[in-house]
Amino acid sequence: MKKLMEVKDLCKTYVIEKRQNNVLKNVTFDVEEGEMVGIMGPSGSGKSTLLYSISGMDKATSGQVKLDGKEITTLSEKELSSVRLNDMGFIFQQMFMMKNLTILDNILLPAIECDKNGESRKDKVARCEDLMRKLGIIEIAGNDINEVSGGQLQRACIARSMVNNPKILFADEPTGALNRQSSAEVINEIKKLNAEGTTVLMVTHDAKVASNCSRVLYIADGNIKSEYRMPEGLSERDRERSLNNWLLELGW
Amino acid sequence: MFFRILKKELKKKKAMNIIVFLFITLAALFVGAGLNNVISVANGTGYYLEQAGVGDYVMITMGPNSVGELDEMLETEPAIESYRLDTVIYGSQDSLKKGDGSRIETKNVMLMQDYSKTTFNFFDTDNNTPKALEPGHCYVTGNFMKNNDLKVGDILEIGQCDVTARLIIDGKVKDALLGSDFMGNTRILLHTEDYEKFAASEEIRENYCGQVCCIDTNDVDAVKDAAAKHNAAFSQPASVVSICYVMDMIVAFIVLILSVCLIILSFVVLKVSLSFTISREYREIGVMKAIGIKNRKIRILYLTKYLGMAIVGSVLGFFLSIPVNNLLMASVTENMMLGNSLGIWINAIGAFIVVIVIVFLAWLATGKVKKATPVDAIRTGQSGERYNKKSKLHLSRSNRSSASFLAINDTISSPKRYISIIIAFTLCMLFVLMMVNTTNTMQSDRLIETFAPKSDLYLDSVSEAMKIMGHDAEYMEKYFDEKDAKLAELGIPGHFSQQGQYTYQVEVNGKLHRVICEYGFRTDFDSLTYEEGTAPRNKNEIAISTHMIDTLDAHIGDTVIINFGSEKLECTITAYYESFNQIGQVIRLHPDAPVDNKYSSSRMAFQIDFDDHPSAKVIEERKEIIKENFINDKVENAAEYVASCISVVPTMLAVQYLLLGITILVVVLVTILMEISFIADEKSQIALLKAIGFRNRKIYIWHVLRFLIVALFAMILAAALSIPMTKLCISPIFGMMGTSKIDYAIDPLQIFLIYPAIIVITTLFTAFLTSLTSRSIKSSDTANIE
Repeated sequence: MKKLMEVKDLCKTYVIEKRQNNVLKNVTFDVEEGEMVGIMGPSGSGKSTLLYSISGMDKATSGQVKLDGKEITTLSEKELSSVRLNDMGFIFQQMFMMKNLTILDNILLPAIECDKNGESRKDKVARCEDLMRKLGIIEIAGNDINEVSGGQLQRACIARSMVNNPKILFADEPTGALNRQSSAEVINEIKKLNAEGTTVLMVTHDAKVASNCSRVLYIADGNIKSEYRMPEGLSERDRERSLNNWLLELGW
Repeated sequence: MFFRILKKELKKKKAMNIIVFLFITLAALFVGAGLNNVISVANGTGYYLEQAGVGDYVMITMGPNSVGELDEMLETEPAIESYRLDTVIYGSQDSLKKGDGSRIETKNVMLMQDYSKTTFNFFDTDNNTPKALEPGHCYVTGNFMKNNDLKVGDILEIGQCDVTARLIIDGKVKDALLGSDFMGNTRILLHTEDYEKFAASEEIRENYCGQVCCIDTNDVDAVKDAAAKHNAAFSQPASVVSICYVMDMIVAFIVLILSVCLIILSFVVLKVSLSFTISREYREIGVMKAIGIKNRKIRILYLTKYLGMAIVGSVLGFFLSIPVNNLLMASVTENMMLGNSLGIWINAIGAFIVVIVIVFLAWLATGKVKKATPVDAIRTGQSGERYNKKSKLHLSRSNRSSASFLAINDTISSPKRYISIIIAFTLCMLFVLMMVNTTNTMQSDRLIETFAPKSDLYLDSVSEAMKIMGHDAEYMEKYFDEKDAKLAELGIPGHFSQQGQYTYQVEVNGKLHRVICEYGFRTDFDSLTYEEGTAPRNKNEIAISTHMIDTLDAHIGDTVIINFGSEKLECTITAYYESFNQIGQVIRLHPDAPVDNKYSSSRMAFQIDFDDHPSAKVIEERKEIIKENFINDKVENAAEYVASCISVVPTMLAVQYLLLGITILVVVLVTILMEISFIADEKSQIALLKAIGFRNRKIYIWHVLRFLIVALFAMILAAALSIPMTKLCISPIFGMMGTSKIDYAIDPLQIFLIYPAIIVITTLFTAFLTSLTSRSIKSSDTANIE
């Protein structure tokens, strides 16, 4: 498999009141194309910081991050914007949306900004509607963001993150604000996208959610302590059980 | 616990708290300065005239035998309670020279009087009584020093008949009676020793003396009736003197309206920002409610916070309001004394009102706390002020770029958010545009017929006018023939004419009136515009100004008896017309009327009409030739002559630019404060847009375009309203001066392009600079936003 993302010696240090806080310490790992990688770890271990640093949303203090062979830590803000728009998709726990836009318009917004396919606006709208149909939210296309449930809103966020066919999808606690049923629906959608070839890197503290990943990285004290590759052919329950056993061994 | 939450509250929401604090300070500043101005202007000329001792009725006599003319009336008329009488010596600009021998310009007749014996109160520039004069020193009134570029300590040379004096100017004093731009007479106050030198001259005593009399009465009509029997150059109630300050009062009232608008604006912006900040606090409110804190306690928490901010902001605003108050009033108090006895206490009251209003607005805004359930409050806190709102436009159906769509959609979906900006921009611009329309009209020739018939040029010379006053028709004919001949010598085919004013006794239904009659020497009144009726066709016909209809209680078709001195003539009123002369209290006579120059009270500028109908360029060339050969700098075209007659144009222009400056300041402040609050409110959305790949440039465009839409809307509204509002607000003021039917000179380029463009560009520039602060919001901030 081709390496889509290569992270090498990534460090992130915050200085708060003259005190250095090394959140990430020489983190090194790869993500292969088509993989679904979960990042787990205790609170404050640096999961989200890792996600934001490798996605270029936050500047790493040192180290290298390559996406599809392209070093992104040295890119300008303008170039990073372009990478985020064309090659990356993001799902946030808080389900951020533009307040004055409908669900469809929120999904359409990054598509309009992106012109890599040279599509007309009409085609982009059609593609967004197809995506919404696929995610089962077409009936809320014209709704405002406060007129839909949390699960529907997160699926809309997934649609928005996928609208430009990104090379990699970053998800930060995508089910963190959802109930059990909505969580299951959202994870199913992410799994489907992954099955269709989208590489997913997901931060979660939920073992049930992480059990859907093909590989799980365990981060503690700013470094990857262990890695668990999910055995193939297991049922959903067994996957969760085996992951929990691994986590127990790590003292989770 | 309560204070710990409060302390955290102030620290945590620093940006929004600073914004609200700034608005409170601005509100206290505008309310304090505005209230002080409102009270001062409301006291207006009444306060000024009362302090000066103008009394209730004013009579001024001039010319041979005028001293003592009023003595009998003053002693015998029972309606006169008391009076003050000053003897004065008249002169013209020809009597005056600067120390270096250069010419002095005065608008009308000049008066000299003994300062130590005056019964009238003059004021220095600080509104105090000017100190006593030393021999060889003098004070001057009005804009005399400014117009002639004179400074304190400069020498003024006075030469009247055979007496001359070189005097040191000790300063300018305010003259409530004659110092208005409309009256335009300069008084020179002398030391007794200097005055007596002039008074000792027999020629001066016989021909150039007169009296100024201020009468106190409770029955102005009775005094007016008694005064009608005497020959006075000016005989009017104090209310007419007050009206002479109408142009100064226009400026004062604009300052007043501006102050009121700034107060309204401050409260509107304050209301919006308070509601906005409290809506951002709904999450905390929800949490407090959820853990069982009572509504009353939650409200007290926020009220304490806003009370504290209101007190500190108001104290700061109070101190700032004092210099702002002085700045606003500076342009109107140059020739007037506007004031009130309460001084800066009014500013303090204004600041206190702001504190009360803030607490009241905060009380109203926190009222929602009672109605909202904890869950409602938490949810509203999450989705911000957008809760329960519907987007109006659809990106999917639009062809616009995403930034422009977001800007348009935001303004349409949440119009309430932008209303305070629109109100602020529209009001400020409206005042500027109204001033532009007014000053443009005053500088155009549209008002010329309300002063004199339209001519190619006007030669204004008080000394030349005084040469022919009192002389017979034969002398006049000769004088004007000489002037025409001089024009011909210069190779200019044209002729002189002049409108004179004569004071005659007019009897209507047995009641006597003393009325100024306008008579055109070698002019034709036929071509003038009449509001109703037809121009007088023979000497028995007259036209009356629209203001005279009520004064005389006479109408078209009625007959009045005019005592021309040599004969009494029954005249029929054939028309009405509009005039600014004598505040609209005039009668227009036919050229054949038997006028006698003995009754001439004043003369307008000499009119020059060219027989070859030259172009404007040729007229300007001839103007320079005439200036040079007639040794007079005051040769003007119709537009310049109107501006000169109204003479308040420079002040109006100064106020117009002051208003523009204040408008730009308000626009800059409102834009900065609103944009900062928008950025604070939209932090999560900006971070999100950056996370999904929007560049900073797009964010700036989105934010700047919103202000462009709002500013354009406000400018279109202001430009559209400016014409009807000018007519509505300014015409009544012109009406007080004589005519309200004004054909305004509207300059579309200025009204619809230049001034709106200044505001729009200022808004865009300020919005852009402020939007740069959104650069500090990073895409990774999505992780830190609740």
